[in-house]
Amino acid sequence: MTNQVIEAENLTKIFDEKLVAVNNLSFSVEKRAIYGFLGPNGAGKTTTIRLLLGLIRPTAGDVRIFGERMTPSSSALRMRMGYLPTNPKFPPKMTPITYLDFVGRLFRLGSEERKNRLSELIRAVGLLGDSAREIGGFSTGMLTRLGLAAALMNDPELLVLDEPTSGLDPSGRKSTLELIEELGKEKTIFVSSHILGDIDRVCTSVGVISQGKSIFSGTIKEIKKSIRSHSVRIEVEGEMEKLCTALKGAKWVKGFEKRSDFALDIEFDPSTAMADAVKETLGLVSAQGLDLISVSSSSSSIEDAFVKLLRDEESRGFLRAT
Amino acid sequence: MGPFWAIVQADLKGLFRSRITYGWLLAAVFIQVIRTLGSHGTGTVSDIVSSGLSDFVYIWALVLIGLSASSVSSESGELADSIMSKSVTRLDYVLAKFASRIAYSLVTFSLVTAVLVGLCLKLEVGSYDAAGLIAAILLVALALVTLTTLGVGLSVAMPSSVTAIVALLVLWYTMTVLFPVAELGLLSPGNLLSLLPGLVKGTFSWDVSETAAAFAAVSVASTALSSAYFYTKDI
Repeated sequence: MTNQVIEAENLTKIFDEKLVAVNNLSFSVEKRAIYGFLGPNGAGKTTTIRLLLGLIRPTAGDVRIFGERMTPSSSALRMRMGYLPTNPKFPPKMTPITYLDFVGRLFRLGSEERKNRLSELIRAVGLLGDSAREIGGFSTGMLTRLGLAAALMNDPELLVLDEPTSGLDPSGRKSTLELIEELGKEKTIFVSSHILGDIDRVCTSVGVISQGKSIFSGTIKEIKKSIRSHSVRIEVEGEMEKLCTALKGAKWVKGFEKRSDFALDIEFDPSTAMADAVKETLGLVSAQGLDLISVSSSSSSIEDAFVKLLRDEESRGFLRAT
Repeated sequence: MGPFWAIVQADLKGLFRSRITYGWLLAAVFIQVIRTLGSHGTGTVSDIVSSGLSDFVYIWALVLIGLSASSVSSESGELADSIMSKSVTRLDYVLAKFASRIAYSLVTFSLVTAVLVGLCLKLEVGSYDAAGLIAAILLVALALVTLTTLGVGLSVAMPSSVTAIVALLVLWYTMTVLFPVAELGLLSPGNLLSLLPGLVKGTFSWDVSETAAAFAAVSVASTALSSAYFYTKDI
C-alpha cells in the first residue's frame, strides 16, 4: 500500500484557454507529513488546492488522494479531508453552533456525533463564549478559528489549509501554528502560505511554486542546504575599521562588505572549511578587542532560500527565452 | 439526513429569516387585503382572485427573480468552496438550490394566496367553482415554479448574480409581453393570466392543459440542463 497521501502528476490548469494557472506540476505528500506549499501571490497555490479538492478539473494531469483519483464527484474522498480556505466565508446569520452542525450534516454525521464533535471543537478553538452569536459580527481571527473547527468537524486524515495565518494578529498566528503542529502529530497536513516563517516553523517538507511551476520539492533542511553559501554575517561592537584592515590580509577571506556601522558580510575562500574560516574570523574579532554581538549564516533563513529559488527560476526562464 | 436536505434547510432558513421576505409578505398581504376590501360588493370572486394572482406574475416576480437568479452565483468563490469541499456532490448542491428556491416561492405564494382567497370567499358569494379556483391557483404556482427554475438555471450559467438577474428580467417580461404577440402564447405568463377568470368560474379549456404542460416542460428542461452544466463546470 502506498504511503503517499497526495500525488499530483503533471498537473496543469488553463483557464479559458488563456491563463496557465498551474503548469505541469508534480509533487507528493507522505502520510503524517506537514507539507508547506510556498509561492508568491498569484503563483497558483489556491488553484492547486482547488484541484486537490476536486472543485475544478485539471486541463491535463492527475491528482490522487489516498491512492484514488480525485474528481468533482469524489465526495467519499472529501469525507476524509478537511479544508480551510483563505479568508473563509460563512452564512452571516448562522451561529458557530448552527454552522458546525450544518457542516456535520454535509459530512453525513449522526446527530449525537455532531453534537459531541461541535462542542469539543468550539471549546478547542476558543469560541465557547461566542457560540450563540451570529457569525456576521466575527473578526478575521474568529472566522479563521471557526473555519479550522469546520475543517476538523469530520476528524479528517488529510487537512488542507490555504494561508491559515492570513489576516491574523501575532497571537492568533502563534496559536494557529501551535494548533497545526499539534494536529500534525496524527494527521497529514498540506499548508499553503507565502509567509515563510510559518512554513519554516511547522513544516517537515516543502514545495515551492512559481508561475504555476514547481521549482523545488524536498525537506526544509534540503531547501536551506541547496542555497548554502560560504559566507557569514557578523555583528560587532567597537572599531569596525580595525577588523576590516585585519580581514584584508586574511588568506581564508575571499571578500567582505560592510552592511552597517556594526555589521559585516564576509565571504570565505571555498578552499577553507567553513568551520575553520569562522573560527579564524572570530579569533580576529577577539584579537582586535571587539565585542561580538552575533554571527549568522547569511543564508540560514528560508526567506533567503525562497528568494534565491525564485531568482534562479527567473534567470532560467530568461535563458530559455533567449 | 444527507447533504441535500442539509443545504435545502439551511437555504430556506436563510431566506425566511431575511428582511426581504418579511417586507415582501407584509406588502403582498396588505395589498391583497386592500384589494379585497376595496372590491367588496362590486367585484366577483373570479375577478378579485384573478387580479390578485396576476400580482405574482407582474410585480412579485421581481422579488423571485432577484432571489432565484442569485441563488448559485452569489455563493461562488469561498462560500461555495466551503460547502463543495465537504462530502457533497455537484448534484446534491444544485438540486438542493432548485428545491429550496421552489419551496420558498410556493410557500410565500401559498401564504399570500390563502389570505386573498380566504378573505374573498368570506366577503363575496357565487361566481366561482371550487375546482376551477384550485386549478387557477395551481396554474399560477406552476408559472412561479417555471420562473424560479429559470432563475436558478441562469444563476448556474451566468458568471455573476447581476448578469443572471438582468437576463431573467429580460426573459420573463419578454415572455409575458412579447410572446403572445409572436404567437408563442403557450409559453407566456401574460397569456396564462387571461385564462384565469374563466378557469375560476369553472370553464376548463384545452388551452389550460397546454399552457400547464408548456410551463412544466420549461421547468423540467431548465432544471435538467443547468444541473448537467453545473456538473461539468469549474466552480
